Amino acid sequence: MIGERKLSLNIAVVARIIGWLLIIESSFMVLPLITSLIYSEPVSIRAFAITIGITLLAGVAMTFGIRPKRNNMHTREGLLLTASVWVVFSLFGCLPYMLSGTLPRFVDAYFEMMSGFSTTGASVIRDVESVAKGILLWRSMSQWLGGMGIILFTLAVLPMLNHSGGVQLFNAEVTGLTHDKIRPRVSQTATSLWAVYCVLSLVLLAFMWAGPMEFFDALNHTMVITSTGGFSTKNASMAHWNSMYLNIVVTVFMLLSGLNFHLLYKFAVGDRMAIWKNDVFRWTVGLLVGVGVIVGINVVLQDTMDNKLMAFVCGLFQTISAATSTGLSAFDYEADGPFVSLMFVMVMLFGASAGSTAGGAKIDRLVLLVKNTSIQIYHLLHPNTVKVIRVNGRVVNDEVYAKCVAFLTCFFIMIAISTIVFTESGMPAFDAIFTAVSAVSNVGMGYGVTGLHGSFADMNDLCKVVFSFDMLAGRLELFTILILFTRGFWKKS
Amino acid sequence: MKIVIVGAGEVGSHLAKLLSNESHDIYVIDKDESKLAALDNQNLITHVGRPTSFEVMRNVDISDCDLFIAVTPYETNNVLACSMAKSLGAKKTVARIDNYEFFKKENKDFFTQLGVDDLIYPEYLAAEEMMMALKHTWVRNWFEMFNGELIVVGVKLRSKAKLLGLKLRDTSNVSGFMHICAIKRKYETIIPRGDDIILENDIVYIATKDEYLDKVIDICGKRQSRIDKVMIMGGSRIAKRLVRLSDGKYEFKIIEIDKKRSHDLAYKLPECQIVNGDGRDNEILREEHLENYDAFVALTDSSETNILGCLTAKEYGVKKTIAEVENIQFISEAEGLNIGTIINKKLLASSKIFQTLIDNDQSNAKCLALADAEVTEMVVKEDSKVTKSLVKDLKLPREMTIAGLVRDGVGYLVQGNTELKPGDHVVVFSLSGSMHKLEKWFN
Repeated sequence: MIGERKLSLNIAVVARIIGWLLIIESSFMVLPLITSLIYSEPVSIRAFAITIGITLLAGVAMTFGIRPKRNNMHTREGLLLTASVWVVFSLFGCLPYMLSGTLPRFVDAYFEMMSGFSTTGASVIRDVESVAKGILLWRSMSQWLGGMGIILFTLAVLPMLNHSGGVQLFNAEVTGLTHDKIRPRVSQTATSLWAVYCVLSLVLLAFMWAGPMEFFDALNHTMVITSTGGFSTKNASMAHWNSMYLNIVVTVFMLLSGLNFHLLYKFAVGDRMAIWKNDVFRWTVGLLVGVGVIVGINVVLQDTMDNKLMAFVCGLFQTISAATSTGLSAFDYEADGPFVSLMFVMVMLFGASAGSTAGGAKIDRLVLLVKNTSIQIYHLLHPNTVKVIRVNGRVVNDEVYAKCVAFLTCFFIMIAISTIVFTESGMPAFDAIFTAVSAVSNVGMGYGVTGLHGSFADMNDLCKVVFSFDMLAGRLELFTILILFTRGFWKKS
Repeated sequence: MKIVIVGAGEVGSHLAKLLSNESHDIYVIDKDESKLAALDNQNLITHVGRPTSFEVMRNVDISDCDLFIAVTPYETNNVLACSMAKSLGAKKTVARIDNYEFFKKENKDFFTQLGVDDLIYPEYLAAEEMMMALKHTWVRNWFEMFNGELIVVGVKLRSKAKLLGLKLRDTSNVSGFMHICAIKRKYETIIPRGDDIILENDIVYIATKDEYLDKVIDICGKRQSRIDKVMIMGGSRIAKRLVRLSDGKYEFKIIEIDKKRSHDLAYKLPECQIVNGDGRDNEILREEHLENYDAFVALTDSSETNILGCLTAKEYGVKKTIAEVENIQFISEAEGLNIGTIINKKLLASSKIFQTLIDNDQSNAKCLALADAEVTEMVVKEDSKVTKSLVKDLKLPREMTIAGLVRDGVGYLVQGNTELKPGDHVVVFSLSGSMHKLEKWFN
């Protein structure tokens, strides 16, 4: 107990657990390998076989080669583990892209993988339809795993993290202001969340398969929609099908995936009232659908599409897609003028509910800010009234509020810096802002040079590196990553 | 097992962490959100609410709760909460009390009727523990089964001990009458193997029998001394309980700093001498002739004062010192210093809870919680894993060892060649967090 106080960062323990996780990653890669075998794609079979070998070897070496002297895991080890897992996972995960020749350059491959795990969905592959099926499946799987969280998956299946250290990992990976537990043990909470996620995915798969999609496309799109990722197997994304049925189904499921999974779990186990008592739920649905309808009407008025109803649905679809950070596109939104695109930037900033797979600064924080502002305005007239901020019926203390403000400060600074870097490399100002917000909020939509008629592949390497970093930091809600760049983190205490 | 703990005070939080580490599902209820915030990073779930609220209890699904523990500071709340929990379907309830009358055997039926299955009375447990320490002055901890048929003692080895420098496997000459089951060295407790060497300042945990005690005392370089006069610093509830429990066996003098409390003590404890003064003041200690006392017991609210008080008493030549140390982090430090026995209410309460946990399917189980280990009495079940082979071939996990056993009322020490049989009462020494593994081996 006392002996532990003077010890420094326990890197051995972190490395050992990462070894375990790499073994898990290698076993996930078996699925795309099988897919490649089914579709007999020799290049990707080779790529996956080699990657699985390397990953498994590294994993086994780290798990059994490293003997940590101490097994203690504290806050710092937890943060380091969560952050490095995402980096290392992408490092090994990007090997199939490079080995199969899909994206031979490391910067591109890493970008694509980070875009996958962080559920951003910005792609540097110019022609996805020509890419091997195995690679495409791995690309979609990366989003599905990253959506709920790699650590969360591990917590659910491996008992070794089922202690208070595991709770810290959970807090470092799951988004939100505060972290509610569903059940007493962190493994049970993780299992419940994954159960909700899997059920959601299966139902969506059934709906899409029943529609005009083939099984392979339906499977891939299921994985990128419930994770609010947005990688498509078609160059034109959802516009490829141009189907009213699909657009409506996908809109509903994107919205569902943008809700707090904790709440969905409660709803599923019979606590129907919990949803209506939840401020964030009402705000998320109200705001997203509200803005969606406005954008939909605007798209109809723009008169760029013949089918008015389809135009409206596309507007709604695209708003929900942007807000929940999915980033699938149903139509050419760039043709509809600045209002529509600006609305997308607005909804991208705050995203959807915390505790979902969505990105952005989260509606939870917006609720907090708005409520605080209204209290402050009320105080101008009634300076002596005492009011507290209440979200979801519970009082939010000053500490949480201060943390929220600090988060938003970092959030906007990151967007600003990224925008500056992008414009410096020659991007037009609005394109740069749109792209930066899209990166930090994990949306994956582009505009102008990065948009539907351009590609993220056209960015220079510096921009790609910055973009990759934004995606990672955005997914882990900034602090988990930013803390690694402080001196205090590495210093011996 | 689903365990609901009401009250996130010192005892409640400690129990919650401990039981969570033992892989139980823990729910903690307290009305003070800031107390619960301290448990946020633990592997358990917290609820804000009054301890005696039906709504809160339904929120945590009390109906499938296996053990309900009420440890708020108010005994009436605890008893009421247990009663409510029982009526809502909790299988077993335990309430913390601080009233000796409640604890008496003849009143047990009343509590059973109310739905309170068990009572924890930390002050009483502390007093009992201190009585034990005053009786056996040479040990740190004392755990006995069947009236001394089997005893586990914790002894701090000084330079005079004859065991120093020996490898465990070379101690065969003593293996006939004692078995070293654990060593506490600095901040960690280890279950020793043959290669481990016994060092000075180790606290060794030895299993032995009543008739061999003299030999053990000799080999540890200790002396048993007789205690007659005891000075107590701090007139706390534990002090009162100790004086009452001793029933005139020792001559007590209590030094209490608070005037009102001193008067109260004088009123309530006619048989003992009360001094109103600061126990840290040398003047007072000399005036009261501390050097003539056999034992010094420090029971103030401050762990630091207690530790320093005991060190001072040692300077005066007092043979036995006992300190109440409530910060668990301080226990290791205090053990490293020259303090005879350390009392911690949290550990005593967890001993009791562990006992209750094992007791679920066994009667009269005993348990003693140390700072980072537990000594537990278990009954070997029919067909359990430990009966399958000789002890040395069992491949028991590293964090536990079998110290001894009692078969048909006769105690035996456990050697490699011992074979356990169903019905044996065994004493198991296990490091913290491995309690749940016991089930696997013994049931």
